[in-house]
Amino acid sequence: MILSPEVLTIFILNAIFAIFATIAFILSVKIVLKWDINATTQTQYSLEKYSYLSATIIKYIFAIKVPLFLFFIFTLDKISAVLTGAMCGAGVVDATEYGNYLFILKIINLYLFAYWIVLHNEDVKDEKQAFTKRKFMFFIVAFFFLLTELIVEGIMFGSIDLNEMVSCCGTIYSSSSGSYISKIFSVDTSVLLGLFYANYALMVLLYFFKRAYLFSIANILFIIISIITLIVYFGTYIYELPSHHCTFCFLQSDYYYVGYLIYLLLFVGTFYGIVTGLIVMDEKRREKNYKISILFNTLYVILLSLYPIVFYIKNGVWL
Amino acid sequence: MSSKINFYLLEFAINSILRERYKNLFITIVLTLLTFLLSSMFFITNSIKYELNATLDSLPQIIVQNSKAGRHYDIESSKLDEILTISGVSEAVSRVWGYYYFANADVYFTLIGVDEFEEQYKETLSNLTPKMDFTQDSMYVGKGVKEILNSSYYKEYFNFIKPDGSVKKVNIAGVFDSNTELESNDVIVMSKENLREIFELDESSATDIVVKVSNLNEIDTVALKIKQKLPETRVITNEELRVSYENLFNYKGGVFLALFIVSIFTFFIIIYDRASGLSSEAKREVGILKAIGWRVEDVLKEKFYESFIISFFAYFLGVSMAFAFVYLLQAPLLRDVFIGYTDLKPSFELPFVFDIQTLVLVFFLSVPIYIAAIIIPSWRVATLDADEVIR
Amino acid sequence: MITLKNVTKRYKLNKVDTITAVEDINITFNEGEIIVLKGASGSGKSTILSLIAALSKPTSGEVIVDTKGISKLPDNFASIYRRDNIGFIFQKYNLIPNISVQENILTPLIPLNLNAEELQKKLHFVMEMYKIEHKKDTLVRNLSGGEQQRVAIARANVNNPKIIIADEPTANLDEKLSLHFIEMLRELKALGKTVIIATHDPLFFDLDFIDREIEVHNGKLLL
Repeated sequence: MILSPEVLTIFILNAIFAIFATIAFILSVKIVLKWDINATTQTQYSLEKYSYLSATIIKYIFAIKVPLFLFFIFTLDKISAVLTGAMCGAGVVDATEYGNYLFILKIINLYLFAYWIVLHNEDVKDEKQAFTKRKFMFFIVAFFFLLTELIVEGIMFGSIDLNEMVSCCGTIYSSSSGSYISKIFSVDTSVLLGLFYANYALMVLLYFFKRAYLFSIANILFIIISIITLIVYFGTYIYELPSHHCTFCFLQSDYYYVGYLIYLLLFVGTFYGIVTGLIVMDEKRREKNYKISILFNTLYVILLSLYPIVFYIKNGVWL
Repeated sequence: MSSKINFYLLEFAINSILRERYKNLFITIVLTLLTFLLSSMFFITNSIKYELNATLDSLPQIIVQNSKAGRHYDIESSKLDEILTISGVSEAVSRVWGYYYFANADVYFTLIGVDEFEEQYKETLSNLTPKMDFTQDSMYVGKGVKEILNSSYYKEYFNFIKPDGSVKKVNIAGVFDSNTELESNDVIVMSKENLREIFELDESSATDIVVKVSNLNEIDTVALKIKQKLPETRVITNEELRVSYENLFNYKGGVFLALFIVSIFTFFIIIYDRASGLSSEAKREVGILKAIGWRVEDVLKEKFYESFIISFFAYFLGVSMAFAFVYLLQAPLLRDVFIGYTDLKPSFELPFVFDIQTLVLVFFLSVPIYIAAIIIPSWRVATLDADEVIR
Repeated sequence: MITLKNVTKRYKLNKVDTITAVEDINITFNEGEIIVLKGASGSGKSTILSLIAALSKPTSGEVIVDTKGISKLPDNFASIYRRDNIGFIFQKYNLIPNISVQENILTPLIPLNLNAEELQKKLHFVMEMYKIEHKKDTLVRNLSGGEQQRVAIARANVNNPKIIIADEPTANLDEKLSLHFIEMLRELKALGKTVIIATHDPLFFDLDFIDREIEVHNGKLLL
């Protein structure tokens, strides 16, 4: 059980999130059940007021969650210093069986909450407020994801045993470990790279043809293939070590914190890409979202591709 | 969410804060106080940790002690030879030291014995030994010791009381300081011979044996080997000490933090209550704003601007005051909570440690919590029915 | 043009009692008209004003302004409608005392986050029109009654609304200021604005530039 001040802070804020999200949840249920924009009853007026409260709460949670997520990563790094065997956050995540799920959940929730906010902004611009019920139904789903994340986080930090040795990212991300990560390594690297660039090309194509729905799908797939190729191929060029596949280590100062840039580009690019297809909005805004998405995704691809290219130029060989 | 800061709204928010100045002043003071206490606590523990780490760095990597009935006991100097045979060991020195209780001032001194021609295990000692006169019964004392002895009128010498009750007089040759004050403050250095006399330790024994390892990555392996060769001993590595102290600090910090949570909770209730209690004046103002075209979102945004201003201001003020309190004033009263390190209250100076993560931590424990507290009251204000208010 | 169609507004006093503020109102106000709603307090004239300003929603019926129905607008759209179309002059002016004249006048525009140039343009226009430019940095609480009156009207006009609504504007004023106010109403008519005033001040009755005087009695119009 780790009781460092950082972990306690996370717990305190999580408690606040839980309480307020529950309030928003209850209000969302009420709204989904009884909302009728044309009604002139007292109930409807109250619901309209509650809608503001829920929106404010959700925006608050997202606004705090983003910096808190960064703080979470720093905390993992700090814990790795006292956890024997761990040299970076990867070791801490792997210390318990919950670590990986927690991480994935956190990222999913970032996408979900950001998506809700975009949906909300579109809804509010519309006089008929056609999306209100839908957006609160969406929040009801997101609420369960959030709650799960908070609970898992509590369990994970609670069950870290300081006396137990953990693996370092060298073993976690290798082809010899037993986890599903090792299965990724069994696929030929050139196939994975091919998929990566093909996916990117597809997105560019869909951008020019303005097929929004397919564009969103392509972006979702891009998230997956990006992470995979990052682990298997690009990461090794950032570390200049063929066996170093860690997704955490390049967040540290040794690599100029480039990890934050990489993940930021990927998140923003794919998020806006997903939003274009799945939310109804007017042409001008959709155009803007397309542009942001393709821009950030392109920057991501360029940044990542530069590492092996520069390495080859400097050293004359591939890893 | 709009991207640019609305400066006119900011100005309006500031004026709005000033309109209810006493209520907001009260909130600001409470928040500042809480941030101040929290930051001070973190700064103090950070400084102590820093001192501690610096201290530990100067210590040898492995300490070997005899352990009897779970307690530390004198070790045979002969074991030194056995340790030296282990590969990886670059140096091994037997240490003679102990704690001496000075009843008059109710403090413990740490007595360290040195030999003139022996290689010292610590740089501070090797700087000291050339100066010392081993022909006489003299000693060098740390700053804190000198002060205590002075106040007990022992200016030129000191009378140690031996275990058999007789007295050993030792002259004070001078005062030394070392890199870290934690280390040297309560320390007295004298010849091993004198020390053995004071503690009645015979020639063949030592207090413990310290071992230096040539390759730092091998510390644990060597420690294991020593343990295998000498199973009756207790082998402690530097790293173990560091981790255990780190955990101790986290524990103490955690306790403080737990108390803090209680106060945050109380604070939350107070804020909520005060923010909810709307004067008719404030209600009227919101009604007017809505009548002249402000939307609910606009009123909410203005309220949040107000809250940001107050909480950021309190945060900066609290942190700045903490900096001044801890590093300029040296944290009177509060530091005693954390220094249970030795019974001697060292007059050491807390070193200035600037840690961004701490500042971020304190931020997370103050600003978001305050903002959470005002969400519902702000919403209540913003959704007031304008027409009822203006009537 | 403002039309009220079969408008009824009821308030709930408590769980049992309801009060009917206005009942079955049907009337149209034309653009550029100055209308006085006269009646005793509680007769329902303030309710009519708040319905036109979309500050409250009718229990039944519709309010239509320039072919757009405003009675069912969601709250934020109602606010936008008010911001763009309505200038409100309150009974006690309701200025914010501890900020300056120009800050008060700007208040309706603050949420728009306009750039400084645009804001200053609108500001100067009304300050010049109401001749308080020379006092623009004075705190409102340090102004005379007449000056405050001009600030209140300037604020109501800063976003160039089509409709000006005044609820008992002279209730707290002496005769001199009341007459002064009436003069400014004349100017507003010259600008082509639609002005609706709810008052029981006899100074307003039988004025030459008032287009219509409508009596409100017990929530109904006496035409």
